[in-house]
Amino acid sequence: MAKTLIILFFATLFLGVPVAFTMGIAGLSAIFINGGLNPLVATQRMFAGIDSFPLMAVPFFILASELMTACGLTRALLRFANALVGHVRGGLGHVNILVSMLFAGISGSALADAAGPSAIVMRMMREAGYEKNYAGALSAATATIGPIIPPSILAVIFAISTKGVTVAGLFLAGIVPGILLGLSLAVANHIVSTRHGYRGRDTRATMSELRSASLAALPALIMPGIILGGILGGVFTPTEAGAVASAYALLLGVAMRAFTLPALYGAFVRAAVVTSSVFLIVAMASIFAWLLTYLQIPQELAKLITQITDNRLGILFILAGFALICGFFIDTLPALIILTPILGPIAYSAGIDPLQFGMMLVLNLTIGMITPPVGPVLFVIATVGQLKIEGLSKAVLPLLLAELVVLLLVILVPQISTFVPNFFGFAN
Amino acid sequence: MQQLETWIVAANRALVALALAAVFVIVFANVVGRYGFGASFAWVEETARHLMILGAFCGAGLALREGRLVAIMALPDALPAGVARALRWGIVLVMFAFMATMLWLGVKFVEFGWNKETMSTGISRGIPYLAIPIGCGLFLIQLVFFARRFVAQDFEAGL
Repeated sequence: MAKTLIILFFATLFLGVPVAFTMGIAGLSAIFINGGLNPLVATQRMFAGIDSFPLMAVPFFILASELMTACGLTRALLRFANALVGHVRGGLGHVNILVSMLFAGISGSALADAAGPSAIVMRMMREAGYEKNYAGALSAATATIGPIIPPSILAVIFAISTKGVTVAGLFLAGIVPGILLGLSLAVANHIVSTRHGYRGRDTRATMSELRSASLAALPALIMPGIILGGILGGVFTPTEAGAVASAYALLLGVAMRAFTLPALYGAFVRAAVVTSSVFLIVAMASIFAWLLTYLQIPQELAKLITQITDNRLGILFILAGFALICGFFIDTLPALIILTPILGPIAYSAGIDPLQFGMMLVLNLTIGMITPPVGPVLFVIATVGQLKIEGLSKAVLPLLLAELVVLLLVILVPQISTFVPNFFGFAN
Repeated sequence: MQQLETWIVAANRALVALALAAVFVIVFANVVGRYGFGASFAWVEETARHLMILGAFCGAGLALREGRLVAIMALPDALPAGVARALRWGIVLVMFAFMATMLWLGVKFVEFGWNKETMSTGISRGIPYLAIPIGCGLFLIQLVFFARRFVAQDFEAGL
């Protein structure tokens, strides 16, 4: 049964069947071939997999970022970042990084960032004379900050499938790694810009320019404060925070007269369809993940790993390596849903803090979004920027290296992930 | 035929947008109610979950049309055009067979849950379970209309 499951999964995956279906097809076939299980277990897991109130933070944060973009706040953030750092060496590159960090405080998805602000800055960088593959690669790399800095769709999905980890706790765990990610990319951009002579804007923004850009971006800048403040203050749950953020963006758009009725309807349809593609993967992966647990594959793997080492750090490195390899070949979301129940128990029994493990896994698989052959963010940027994957993959290498340094730090120093949540009382 | 397809797509879009809007309104109203009027409702959470599940399954066909169901295209892209076309027709058939099976299992699942009650609203569990057969059915309809364009990789821009 385990063989049927794994072989069918990889076969359908590489033949080009949509990822969501590969897991459902492999799971259902394994159930039918085995014969010992009631096939209704498939529908039951599929339903239960998305029947979760915390998971509903996902559609709300998708909706919030759709509404924010529809009312022009994404452009306001961009102007603000440009006024702040546009004049330094490799200026637009730094703008790209900063705007992704700011946007990450509203959106929880790397794909939303890649298709939104990152794509806009990529065009600006190309017009300013940056090599097109580097502009694309940097835009892809900065997009990965989206699911690290809270809110984060991946953090929600990890937290709902792990006992003892709350969505709020894991949101907080992402703050320091997210900032480190931004800093490491800034260093990489500085080095590349020095080597290629990419300059910033000739003049620094005047105080009045800076003031007007800040004012225009202010409504977007306070949104992360509302989200995190509300959750930490116990005012609302992360899911409700998503609804409040959407309502805030909606009211803002209405107050600024930025919406037409068709545009508003379009934002809801888009958010619903994106949600649907995410939930379909979660539902199908739930069948697959349940079967892996039913077949005791986590236990087998745990035995194998503890035979190699019983050292805490050693185990964490093995798990990280395993996840990194999976991230090359499997899309982020299904990989997260499949790996959480497999690798999690191994980590916790070795005494690794679930917050640290969660952060390691989320960061690890997010980095997998910009690695070929299966790098969804790379695909989006390649499509938007009409670039070849090969050239883009080569240009992304130094940035990938910078992100791997952050991953290494997250593995070596548990406090990077645990200090902030522990400070706010989210301990295990 | 064209007219019918346009009409179905429009109705499908309205359905998923409405589900999301309804979920948004009741969850937000519950927060406002809790602080503004000191009242919150237990049915909100369950109803919101079930509506979202309905919206999620029903949006699968639209996600297909817009090319949002990601797949690894490295192998099909490397194949000669004719072989790749045949492969993509094969994928259409596999998706059809899978979703048809899920539709059938979904109906049995609804029957299975029909005599049980949900936790807080006390309705029959079969009602929220309907999301699976309805969603799979809608997907199959969309797939039949869109199969040719899926094979040609001619996806829609969406709204």
